[in-house]
Amino acid sequence: MRRLPPQPGERIDRSAPLSFTFDGDAIEAFAGDTIASALLASGRSVLSRSFKYHRPRGELCGCGQCASSLVTVDGAPGVRACGRPVTAGMVVEHQNAWPSLRFDAMRATDKLGGVGGTFLQVGFYYKTFIRPRRMWPVYERVLRHAAGLGKLPNRQEQRAWRTEYRRRHCDVLVIGGGIAGLTAAVHAAQLGADVVLCDDDVEPGGVQLAEGGHERMRELAARARTAGVEILSGASALGYFDGLVPVWQGDTLHQVRARRHVAATGAIEQPLVFPDNDLPGVMLAGGARRLAALYALAPGASAVVASVDERGVEAALTLHAAGVRVAAVADLRRDAADCPAAGRLAEAGIPLHAETTVVRAEGRRGVERAVLARVDRTGLALPDSAQQLECDLLAVSGGAVPASSLLLQAGGRSRYDVATGRFLPGELPEGVHAAGAVAGHDELGAAELSGELAGIEAALALGFGGEAVRRELAERRARLEARPLTPCAAPPAHARDGRRGGKAFVDLDEDVTVKDVEQAVAEGYDSIELSKRYTTATMGPSQGRFSQLPAVRALAAATGMPVGEIGLTTARPPWTTVALGVLAGRPFEPAKRSSIHARHRALGATVKWAGDWRRAYDYGDAAAEALAVQTTVGLIDVSTLGKLIVRGPDAGELLDRLYPNTMSSIKPGRIRYGVLLSDAGRITDDGTVCRLDDETFYVTTTSSGAAAVEQWFSWWLADWDLDAHLTDVTQGVSALNLAGPEARALLGRLTELDLSNEAFPYLDAQHTTVAGIPCLLLRIGFVGEVGYEIHCASAHGERLWDALAAEGARPFGLEPQRILRLQKQHILVGQDTDSESTPYGAALSWIVKLEKPQQFIGRWALEHAAQRTAATALVGFTVPSGRVPTEGAVVLHDGKPAGQVTSARRSPKLNQAIGMAWVPAAQAVDDARIHISDVGSTFEARVTTKPFYDPEGAVLRS
Amino acid sequence: MSLDFLTLGSDAGVVAKSPLAAGTAAAGATYAVRDGWEVATRFAEPRVEALACRERVGWADVSHLRKLELQGTPEQLVAAKPDDGLWLQVTPERALLIDSAGPRESAAHVLDVTSQLGALRIAGPLARELFARFCALDLRPGSTPPGAFRPGSVARTPGYLLCEAPDRYLVLFGAAYGAYVWEVVSDAGLHLGGRPVGVDALVAQEAASHA
Amino acid sequence: MSFLLTCPNCGVREVTDFGYGGESSKRPAERPASLRELSAYNYFRRNVAGVQREWWVHRSGCRAWFLAERDTTTNAVLWTVLPADAPRADGASS
Repeated sequence: MRRLPPQPGERIDRSAPLSFTFDGDAIEAFAGDTIASALLASGRSVLSRSFKYHRPRGELCGCGQCASSLVTVDGAPGVRACGRPVTAGMVVEHQNAWPSLRFDAMRATDKLGGVGGTFLQVGFYYKTFIRPRRMWPVYERVLRHAAGLGKLPNRQEQRAWRTEYRRRHCDVLVIGGGIAGLTAAVHAAQLGADVVLCDDDVEPGGVQLAEGGHERMRELAARARTAGVEILSGASALGYFDGLVPVWQGDTLHQVRARRHVAATGAIEQPLVFPDNDLPGVMLAGGARRLAALYALAPGASAVVASVDERGVEAALTLHAAGVRVAAVADLRRDAADCPAAGRLAEAGIPLHAETTVVRAEGRRGVERAVLARVDRTGLALPDSAQQLECDLLAVSGGAVPASSLLLQAGGRSRYDVATGRFLPGELPEGVHAAGAVAGHDELGAAELSGELAGIEAALALGFGGEAVRRELAERRARLEARPLTPCAAPPAHARDGRRGGKAFVDLDEDVTVKDVEQAVAEGYDSIELSKRYTTATMGPSQGRFSQLPAVRALAAATGMPVGEIGLTTARPPWTTVALGVLAGRPFEPAKRSSIHARHRALGATVKWAGDWRRAYDYGDAAAEALAVQTTVGLIDVSTLGKLIVRGPDAGELLDRLYPNTMSSIKPGRIRYGVLLSDAGRITDDGTVCRLDDETFYVTTTSSGAAAVEQWFSWWLADWDLDAHLTDVTQGVSALNLAGPEARALLGRLTELDLSNEAFPYLDAQHTTVAGIPCLLLRIGFVGEVGYEIHCASAHGERLWDALAAEGARPFGLEPQRILRLQKQHILVGQDTDSESTPYGAALSWIVKLEKPQQFIGRWALEHAAQRTAATALVGFTVPSGRVPTEGAVVLHDGKPAGQVTSARRSPKLNQAIGMAWVPAAQAVDDARIHISDVGSTFEARVTTKPFYDPEGAVLRS
Repeated sequence: MSLDFLTLGSDAGVVAKSPLAAGTAAAGATYAVRDGWEVATRFAEPRVEALACRERVGWADVSHLRKLELQGTPEQLVAAKPDDGLWLQVTPERALLIDSAGPRESAAHVLDVTSQLGALRIAGPLARELFARFCALDLRPGSTPPGAFRPGSVARTPGYLLCEAPDRYLVLFGAAYGAYVWEVVSDAGLHLGGRPVGVDALVAQEAASHA
Repeated sequence: MSFLLTCPNCGVREVTDFGYGGESSKRPAERPASLRELSAYNYFRRNVAGVQREWWVHRSGCRAWFLAERDTTTNAVLWTVLPADAPRADGASS
């Protein structure tokens, strides 16, 4: 395409040339060009290859909305060339063509389909490439090569661009910056509302920018800014989520939370359907106008215009004025010759053919001829009415659909207005307004008036403006309602000349033809939603923007149903295709880290996720770390334990109601183990309860259970009238477990407390200072050795760790702890238990005190459970062969699954394969033989109901 | 037995460390010991830090601020409220008391939660823009004026936010999230042209805003 | 799902600030007479398509539990209150 002489309102800056590359070739452009306008100016007409048939595709919409101009920019795929402004040095590459855009070998798929074969026929993914199944990997490779929309970077470091979220609260969000949107924004802001306006073009103004109103629109945008409107340009609203609208602008995803919304999203011009309606050179009339007006491009040397309403005549006049020869206008309206602009058309010497449409495009690489004809109701050319016209631009306009997706997502409905032959939004949901073409007001004056109305209504609803404004509103509403909507002619679903050959596309994104829709109906997919899923029409990257009406019309023709009854498909987000990286935002995951985390890192710990914590799994040698605990002394950071303080006169009563055992009888300074139950008697968490004084208890929970336990406690507390208070101090307290035969001696060097077994026995708690740090010491033994859980304020955690490590305590991680606790058959809730486990099954019958008076949580279910034998029980086992089964391996009984392995490790101390498993109750006795089926083999194991190590707890209590 | 182990020691040899220490150290902080805490006093020239707070945004680790939690009946809480410090009413039965010598004598339960909560003070004309990158709270002056206290999600973790003055906020969050929150705030803040600052820069800024 | 909820203590927040506690139902004062009734209490929910009374907790904020009435078909929240201020539920088991 050649550049035109300077156009009024053109967007390019001819004084600022720049260059970028396309598939390695240097392309000259001006600042303000889009990638597409620069490529077109350089003489290229093919911008992409189509999704399925690899047909060459040129410019269609000229506004960054269709899928015909998808390119890869600086490694990011899926960029619309006709929407993205060029920058110097930008590296642009084509997509979906191999080996090159000009010669695409995959084009063969088009020819295969063309001779009546079944390759890539409608619904092909349900019918072909399925058998034989073993061939799937081959098929997949072929299909991935053939189809698709570019290549994604697959590693974080390949992602060169930064994306982030930005939250924006406002009173009114206006979506769309055309005449209606800008007017609405100005009026709402002038009444005092905090207004944000988003628009997907590089500047606000909408279609008026390319249709003679650029000065007025730029002035209106300036007024909006003066009134305080925040204008987001190049910013697409992606969807409507209960009032939250994500707006994508470059690297930022604005999450706009407005109290009122004005949809001024305009209408979308629709293509016409005829054989080879996708040839490069077939363009929407509005797109052709944009190229000429904004980028000073002659969209063709010689044009034919085909339309169903006033848009065609207007486009022809504009193209003529810009210097493009217009060979003819085919207007389907019967009374086209009576339209207001017909006289100007005659003056310009442009022939106008009423009741005529285009029935075929012809040409090899692009449009060379258009065939015009009068057609019957089905779209077939009437005999002898066809005429061929030479042209290289075929500007088409098949009516418009309101861009109502966001309105529909917000809960609005669309309706078909039979009188004017178009879809319109019906009743709007609360808090949502519609203005301009989306509401049917596509005439300039009406659009402006509807914008005023929407802006004022939104502001009034929020309490801005007064009685005078309200009165004015009624007057405006009356004026708007007095304006009739202009009718438009309905084009045939499939205009054609009756000759063979040529695909007539309903959906260019997905390469869906009229034949495909007919075939789908013949196979029974005869409603719009079924047809959509089967043919994939309207499911492509442009979200059905340019296939809504063609798809509805094709289905109406194939089924004989009226368009209004067929309706539109459900509107779903995203309304604009968006890069996943934008939705991902910044790559940060909320992670909890203990105050000692830096020390673990410095020691070379393997750090892994454990719930929402980052934890030291081991320091390189789990078995050696476990052995060290049993031979000398080990130190583990257990700061992740949940820790709750329960205070108040009723604290004991609260705990008695929540635990199956009695906590109110614990003496100050003593500790008791407890499990928490659901009211169905199932184990949900476990931990220790330590009584600090009469009214104060210190409760620990599992690492992942802290938040849930606090919520559980506070939920019941909200219902019970008890004088008790909770505080979750999990993150404020560091806890270190010092354990092993030398633990007492080591700790003795750092505290003045008498640590002798008599003065500080098992399950006692003492307050003291360790290395000068105030600490609470709990003598408990999760790992089975003499041990002290040392709790201190987390701001001192690192210092406490350093002091203990300096005395020779060997750090051990989570994995060695798991080995050690398994030797003791100490259960891990959630690992050894599941949502069906009761204390009776989990070998914790001793903890249930049915004799206590409280109707504790889970009591009633346990009373029932106590009357019968549980079907399965949790036991320990050893494997004589030494094999360590996979956790989750199946326990067989009479050859049938009867339980499962929950934990299994090799014990370095016992030099044995040990584990825990749920087994049939009859086998829950010492030395019973069970069979474990694991990864294809079955082997024997022996039940051990007592701990594997120190079964009587003599070591622990020593 | 008592809850003394939650209170930071008065032993001169034991210095408390902020949950954000890894982040401030990596950002080049200079520290001083104040009131038993290792405090990040500066990251750059005072002039540079002041400029950041005046023209962009600065953030300072103030985790050392003493924080008490009070629970009790509304009447008990009213009776406990002292004249100094920041009183943050979380629920009718729960309040936080920041940077105070201590509550008045009352039947309310008091707990030292200084170690439990990390704290950042964020100030500058871009402070709201910074929060907008990781926080859904409506911080427009009309919605969150100076003095307003807003418990809510900050950087996808439970938080407490206080608007201390125009363009100046105090945010509290779980101490274990310290490294994470520092990372999120720094990432967004540096991108906005802001910088980490020492506690003294904010004192200077406060003085300037009162002047 | 992005609707707003009003915490009785903290005010309006995104729904993601909150934890959902399920339909409100009262724990019987005494053990249900039969296993069937106990199981109904433990496992059966009304699961209405329409307005229901339910528990929420402001887990990212004040951490308080409160009651709400919400239309499960539209996510329109009719009201939220602290448990002590809850109006009597009519028709609900109480």
